[in-house]
Amino acid sequence: MAVDFLDRYSRGSTWCHRWPARLKIVLTLAVIVAVVLLPISLWPIHGCLACLIFAAHAVADIPLSYLLRRVALLLPVVLLMALCVPLSRGFSGGWELASALVARALLTFLAALWLVNTTPFDRLLAAFRQLGMPRSFVVLLAFTYRYLFVVFDELARMRTAQRARTFGRRSPWAVWNSTVQLVAMLLIRSLNRSERVHQAMLSRGWQGEFRTID
Amino acid sequence: MHIADGFLSPEVCVATGVVAAGALAYSLRQLEQTVSSRTIPLTGMLAALIFAGQMVKFPLPFVPAYGHLLGGVLAAIVAGPWAGCVAISLVLLLQMALFADGGWLSYGANVLNMGVVGSIGGYAVFAAVRRLVPGHRGIVFGSVVAAWVSVVAASALFCIEFALSHPGGGFSLPTVVALMTSFHSLIGVGEALITGGIISYVVAQRPDLIDAAARPAGAVAGVGRLVGIGSVAALLIAAFVAPFATEGADGLEAVAKQAAFDSLEHPPRVLVLDDYSVPLPGVGLSHQFWQRLSVSVAGVFGTGCILGMTWMFGRLVKRTLPATEGGHGG
Amino acid sequence: MSHASVPILKVEHLSYRYPTGQTALTDVSFLVGMHEVVGLVGPNGAGKTTLLLHLNGLLTGVRAATPGPATSPEPAHAVEVLGMQVVPANFPEIRRIVGFLFQDPDDQLFCPTVGDDVAFGPLNLGFPRDEVRSRVSRTLEAVGLTGFENRVPQQLSFGERRRVCLAGVLACEPDLLALDEPSSNLDPRSRRRLIDILKACQAAQVVASHDLELILELCGRVIVLDQGRIQADGPTRDLLSNERLMRSHGLEVPLSIQYGLEAGVRPVSDP
Repeated sequence: MAVDFLDRYSRGSTWCHRWPARLKIVLTLAVIVAVVLLPISLWPIHGCLACLIFAAHAVADIPLSYLLRRVALLLPVVLLMALCVPLSRGFSGGWELASALVARALLTFLAALWLVNTTPFDRLLAAFRQLGMPRSFVVLLAFTYRYLFVVFDELARMRTAQRARTFGRRSPWAVWNSTVQLVAMLLIRSLNRSERVHQAMLSRGWQGEFRTID
Repeated sequence: MHIADGFLSPEVCVATGVVAAGALAYSLRQLEQTVSSRTIPLTGMLAALIFAGQMVKFPLPFVPAYGHLLGGVLAAIVAGPWAGCVAISLVLLLQMALFADGGWLSYGANVLNMGVVGSIGGYAVFAAVRRLVPGHRGIVFGSVVAAWVSVVAASALFCIEFALSHPGGGFSLPTVVALMTSFHSLIGVGEALITGGIISYVVAQRPDLIDAAARPAGAVAGVGRLVGIGSVAALLIAAFVAPFATEGADGLEAVAKQAAFDSLEHPPRVLVLDDYSVPLPGVGLSHQFWQRLSVSVAGVFGTGCILGMTWMFGRLVKRTLPATEGGHGG
Repeated sequence: MSHASVPILKVEHLSYRYPTGQTALTDVSFLVGMHEVVGLVGPNGAGKTTLLLHLNGLLTGVRAATPGPATSPEPAHAVEVLGMQVVPANFPEIRRIVGFLFQDPDDQLFCPTVGDDVAFGPLNLGFPRDEVRSRVSRTLEAVGLTGFENRVPQQLSFGERRRVCLAGVLACEPDLLALDEPSSNLDPRSRRRLIDILKACQAAQVVASHDLELILELCGRVIVLDQGRIQADGPTRDLLSNERLMRSHGLEVPLSIQYGLEAGVRPVSDP
């Protein structure tokens, strides 16, 4: 299946994976709040938290290369935002705040990454519902998650078909144009599908209200 | 675009969370109360589509980098503002819970910036443009303008949230606003191009899909006109007038002072020209300079791009829609 | 068995135009008796799916004015299920009676797990939770997917997904099944399994398919639809072996008839 990147490590079977989802959500949020609330002058505590987060990743069998890749993707954005602070003073100050921002962003990101890579989405969803998320939003989330796979499959098929029809180098304009068409076609198909899904729901007696078995 | 945790203080996260939850709850209620139960699967499907669409890379012209769709305005135009807001919130939550994109504490702020402002606000701008420009061309114009405005407005809102998070925190707010908005006015151009391209393709292929949703409905039509015209005007003013008006780090105070006294003595134009004659590279790079330059660049570049794009899409739509024009204007 | 005293489905002078103005169905009339299995064949675009969508009110066509002298205004509704007109007031009841299997399983499998999906219909019908649970396990057993309750749809094969869809429909215990291309994209084993499930099913069925062997095996009677009109309606073997009729509507005489093999009898021994 083309879409196994959606939950790459979350279906593992380590000790961390078996913890209840609610406990993991609360723990992760506690770490995140601690990182954000503690002044950066207490950097030894941040260091300890960093060690804790890395240890948790290690226990959960999440490879270091994956962490580095994700951090490498996040870092430019965070640096750019943080650099705005010293830049706004002509590089004459604001470095403390900027470095605090980067450190906090990285630590909280790694903590969240541990949570989402040890808990599959359906378990998170159940935990959200237990933690009081409105039912209609939970149902919509489940629906969206279900159709992510269908839409990604459709996208992959369309890309293959498009590649099969194009040869050689193309001008940037042509690439741009075909990409716009790809997404637009995907939009049209998805809207058509939502129409059919709606018909299928009506066919099984749906009257606009979601009921669940538990 | 996603705000990572660590940038906003917990207080601001809670505040934005409360506002976002209110807006989201209202949108959900609107969805549940719509006449057609069709909006429920439509919203979920649209969220899945935007999630996937955000992963499609668009080659940028002239630079070896990629851009991607954000989709707030696209969702709002296709399914209406409330469904759009819910769809974006769904996308944000899935990205947070599957990839850790966007912080867990900052979820409220992200929903506020991209779902509420991006989708509902973007739709208001769209509705306003639709009033001015009739027919299918208005839909495409509206989507282009609304997409740009929504991205820039979201970035401005982020700056305010950021400033509130770090009171007295060693930076000048107007300059950060200027830097962020000028940077995001570029991203906004990408978003506007992609959204406009997709909408004009859909309008040409399946006008029925857009027409049904794009009819400004009920409350949003009225509010949309006001908010839309207001926000376009505000943005234009911000882009063109702000660099001339803000003097010193404390913008508001400066504006007040200028309006009261300075303008009587000498017109602000002269004052600005004086300042602009100073900077030499590395010597006179005061933050006022940075601020003026970037705000001006943002404003002039953004507005120029919008004008250019509307013209271009106008031609495209004219070409693809020979006979189906007219009859849709408000 | 055909044309029992109370028809479960009555379609009279049904006409339908797409919103674009294109005509889809013209003056379609037929009856389906209790427990009768009727095939619906015809080329692509003949209106088979459109016709099926009328059976539970997903589309609402109009009753065509009967030709000849103007009579008293007819009731506007052309489709009746068990004597009930297919109008919004009757939709809840009609959608319990008529089960609909869509062509693409992904359109019909919208819940996160198999169990949730099969439970969707019974829950909407308002059955208590225990009854729903027992129906879910019963129908999953009937389609050969016992214990699949917690599986997620994206991990199932195409044939399994189609059978989950069928289970979701059967869980409502319908009296009439509308099946749109039930055997499309199935490998031979999945197709055989599906045919066996449908054969065991007591409900009346309207089967739209290009798979004429399946029609021959399942249906005692077949309706040939082309360009939105009924072109022929009669016993399956008679119509499907009429070469001129088949040719003129873009169809072919099934190989099993061409080579004289009896329908439903497999000459190659099945291990």
